[in-house]
Amino acid sequence: MQVELPPPAVAPRSPQIPSPVARAVETFFYDNKIVRDFGIATVIWGIIGMAVGVLAAFELARPELNMGTAFTTFGRIRPLHTNAVIFAFVGNGIFTGVYYSLQRLCKARMYSDVLSKIHFWGWQLIIISAVATLPLGYTTSKEYAELEWPIDIAITVVWVIFGWNMFGTIVKRRERHLYVGIWFYIATFITVAVLHLVNSAEVPVSWLKSYSAYAGVQDALVQWWYGHNAVAFFLTTPYLGLMYYFMPKAAERPIYSYRLSIVHFWSLIFIYIWAGPHHLLYTALPDWAQSLGVAFSVMLIAPSWGGMINGLLTLRGAWDKVREEPVLKFFVVAITAYGMATFEGPMLALKNVNAIAHFTDWIVAHVHVGALGWNGFLTFGMLYWLWPRLYRTPLFSKKLATTHFWLGTLGILFYAIPMYWAGFTQGLMWKQFNSEGMLQYPNFLETVIQLVPMYYLRGIGGLLYLSGVFLLMYNLFKTARAGTLLANEKAQAPALLPEALDPHVQPGHWHRWLERRPFQLAVGATIAILIGGAVEMIPMFLVKSNVPTIASVHPYRPLELQGRDLYIKEGCSNCHTQMVRPFRSETERYGEYSKAGEFIYDRPFLWGSKRTGPDLHRVGGKYPSSWHYNHMMDPTSMSPGSIMPPYPWLYENEIDYSTLPAKIRVLQRLNTPYPTGFDKQAVADAQNQAQGIVADLKKEDIEVKSDKEIVALIAYLQRLGTDIKVKK
Amino acid sequence: MLILTLKSARSALLALASVLISATAFAQAPEAAPAKPAAMSEQEALFWVLLGLLGVLLLMLLFTGITIAVQMKPQLRKLYDLPTVHNTWSGQVLGLLVGDARLVQGDVRDEIMDHEYDGIHEFDNDLPPWWKYGFAFTIIFAVSYLFYYHVAKKGQLQGAEYAAEMRQAALFVPAGSDDPNLLTTYQPLTALADISSGKSVFATNCAPCHGANAEGKVGPNLTDDYWLHGGEVNHVYKTIKFGINGKGMVSWKGKLSGKQMLQVSSYVLSLKGSKPANPKPPQGEKEVAGKAVAKL
Repeated sequence: MQVELPPPAVAPRSPQIPSPVARAVETFFYDNKIVRDFGIATVIWGIIGMAVGVLAAFELARPELNMGTAFTTFGRIRPLHTNAVIFAFVGNGIFTGVYYSLQRLCKARMYSDVLSKIHFWGWQLIIISAVATLPLGYTTSKEYAELEWPIDIAITVVWVIFGWNMFGTIVKRRERHLYVGIWFYIATFITVAVLHLVNSAEVPVSWLKSYSAYAGVQDALVQWWYGHNAVAFFLTTPYLGLMYYFMPKAAERPIYSYRLSIVHFWSLIFIYIWAGPHHLLYTALPDWAQSLGVAFSVMLIAPSWGGMINGLLTLRGAWDKVREEPVLKFFVVAITAYGMATFEGPMLALKNVNAIAHFTDWIVAHVHVGALGWNGFLTFGMLYWLWPRLYRTPLFSKKLATTHFWLGTLGILFYAIPMYWAGFTQGLMWKQFNSEGMLQYPNFLETVIQLVPMYYLRGIGGLLYLSGVFLLMYNLFKTARAGTLLANEKAQAPALLPEALDPHVQPGHWHRWLERRPFQLAVGATIAILIGGAVEMIPMFLVKSNVPTIASVHPYRPLELQGRDLYIKEGCSNCHTQMVRPFRSETERYGEYSKAGEFIYDRPFLWGSKRTGPDLHRVGGKYPSSWHYNHMMDPTSMSPGSIMPPYPWLYENEIDYSTLPAKIRVLQRLNTPYPTGFDKQAVADAQNQAQGIVADLKKEDIEVKSDKEIVALIAYLQRLGTDIKVKK
Repeated sequence: MLILTLKSARSALLALASVLISATAFAQAPEAAPAKPAAMSEQEALFWVLLGLLGVLLLMLLFTGITIAVQMKPQLRKLYDLPTVHNTWSGQVLGLLVGDARLVQGDVRDEIMDHEYDGIHEFDNDLPPWWKYGFAFTIIFAVSYLFYYHVAKKGQLQGAEYAAEMRQAALFVPAGSDDPNLLTTYQPLTALADISSGKSVFATNCAPCHGANAEGKVGPNLTDDYWLHGGEVNHVYKTIKFGINGKGMVSWKGKLSGKQMLQVSSYVLSLKGSKPANPKPPQGEKEVAGKAVAKL
């Protein structure tokens, strides 16, 4: 197999600059083993994460697929799926590509083999701890940041080690200028660190329980600033960096435009960070923040497409190779999916589109076009390209790789089309009024049952996609067996001269100056990514009028708090929103729309992002406690045809009061106005309230002990949204 | 869906037509009264004729334009190549006519820059103009958007939008019908068709709580003589419509039509004494037929 690049299509004008100083050529070795290790981890975690996704997908059609255990219910494994595919599959994919390309772009071995190893094993341990804790219900409930505080600290440590290793390599590089790929890696490192630190601010109650440092609207803003930019800086910028390396390598063509890469890099990282509030359109978030989210999302189209253009136009003159080469096939679809998703995103951020699409499967379709198409396919293409080079042997089977490509593409279509269909259907059904001015589908369940066939199809799409990944694993395994790993790849380059003596340092494009200075470039990127977040968050925290207070809103009673923590533990917010939007179709269905002031004691906020079941913000007092009791035991008894699983363990498990006093103390520290010394009365108060619910249930001939978890959950559900209900 | 789209397209055209017509009316007779709804059909006909004519005219113009452009392409090309024309605005329009791809994709010089990274070379081609202008357009859009809503305060933000939506909806509801204190004066329906539609409404909406045969589950038994909130049809109707806050009976106002609520009330009353299996023990007060406010 041809491993070295042939000369470029057009000969460089004058790449050979006469050197005034004789430079000794140094010999060094690239670390390929770490690349291989991350690559294997990518494939294994990919299979696990996607398999969990397939299970979750089919559970929406057949809830009994959780086999009756708490650990496999949708609410608990959905975060496992998202964390596994984002941080385990894509995360390891990033590190695979970065560790391979960074060494070569810097003409240097990684800064430290020890740091590389700590990074590798540390990251895998974090993922294993996620796999261990999420199904057990240890979760903060904040999307893509569900892991509890000790794991958050571990993530911080490992991320710093990654950064240390990366900047160390950059510092000892033998290449004067940093290639565009590295700019993206630097922006990724910095921004993910900032996002993680700010969003994970939480106060521990015990080893695996904490409360968010922010409440309600502010928590929502921080979370979606994080959530949106996790997509931007974990799923987009590092992958753009990888594309800038692997695309021209595989196509053997020059990058289309250097100046385009400058413009789209800086505009992308600057604008992306502002767009978070588009996840909160038509919610209790203040209007000005929503409008900023809309405006900046629209401005994101061109910067995002800059990457697409530079990728696709790099293929000019190499399109014939796309027919032959599965790697390029994967890249082309990946970049196309990126282009589609980044156009669709700004469209979804328009308020009138969002009004229909939000909370429906449209959003699920949208993210999966990005995840399966862009991240998945770029990863697969990269692995197919890397393995023959790491193992010094041709790929075991190009044909099998092409089969994988078609299975994957088919899988994406089978996934996305039914989900778009489901999204439009449900979004329109929710809003449909009949000629008498009443909701056409007043029963929420009617709109869900419509979607079940789509949920089957989507699951089949997922299976097709996953089966392709098994082919990938087999193909890579056979390739590795046929060759031997070149663990240390020999390379030669002269050391870097002091800048004053370096002939590469010429007056040219102003940006070249920045490319010689990693520190200044990092500072520039930091400033660019801090502005948007600061402009949105600082006023939200400091200006009181953003969250108008409501006198009748009180902190949760201890039993309600216990119930709320169960709601978080069971992952109810994965399917139920707590945000009645200001539309007639929603206030008719649920009741008064949600106000910012109602959430000031919500740590974390539980607005949710998807309505697989109905909104619950006004569920308090809507049904008798006995309805909830029967419903949680068997949802179909109260809602025939419901796709919600039963929760029988809530009737057996006893409420854990051991941490309740600590919870009250933590909340007091966070300015929840419980009376002084309330932590000592909290358990008694909870038991008292539980007795009331038990007595209430007894009237309906339901016998339940007051210390069962179901009682706490009912207390919470009956409290929801009632603080301002009286006014109506 | 298709019909919907057509409808909305038609209404958009109508709006356009009314603008056109009112503009002409304004030009000719500023004091003219606004068109009456009765005149709409005549106006509509006129509008379609005018629109048709306009369409034909536009098609002809387009055809002529294309013919000229095709026939004269060599001459236009020559004109476009003149250095004095080439880089002006009008020259660019001309460039689009003669099909100069440079205007869409930029100047693709494909000159390799004098650096490489691990064998990767870079061109330094222009930013594609469509991308550049697209970016500029989105920036203008974004600034105007923020200006429109937050500086000029012309647009409705969500609170105002909601209020407007509710005002509009209120126009359809007759006044006074929503006072829970006013009891209706309906008679129970007895027609078989009404009872059977009442039955199907009951099965989908009421059965989960009251049982498939109204024997009572979470909610009370509806087949006995005992009632918590009155067993006369107008009381049942009221309970269904407004619900019993805090006791679990949800309000069906806005979910069932008035007719449906009366049908289901009548169906429920028709079940009296049906003695279903597993009845829930009686709740509330015993009511004897005839005792209630209005006659059954």
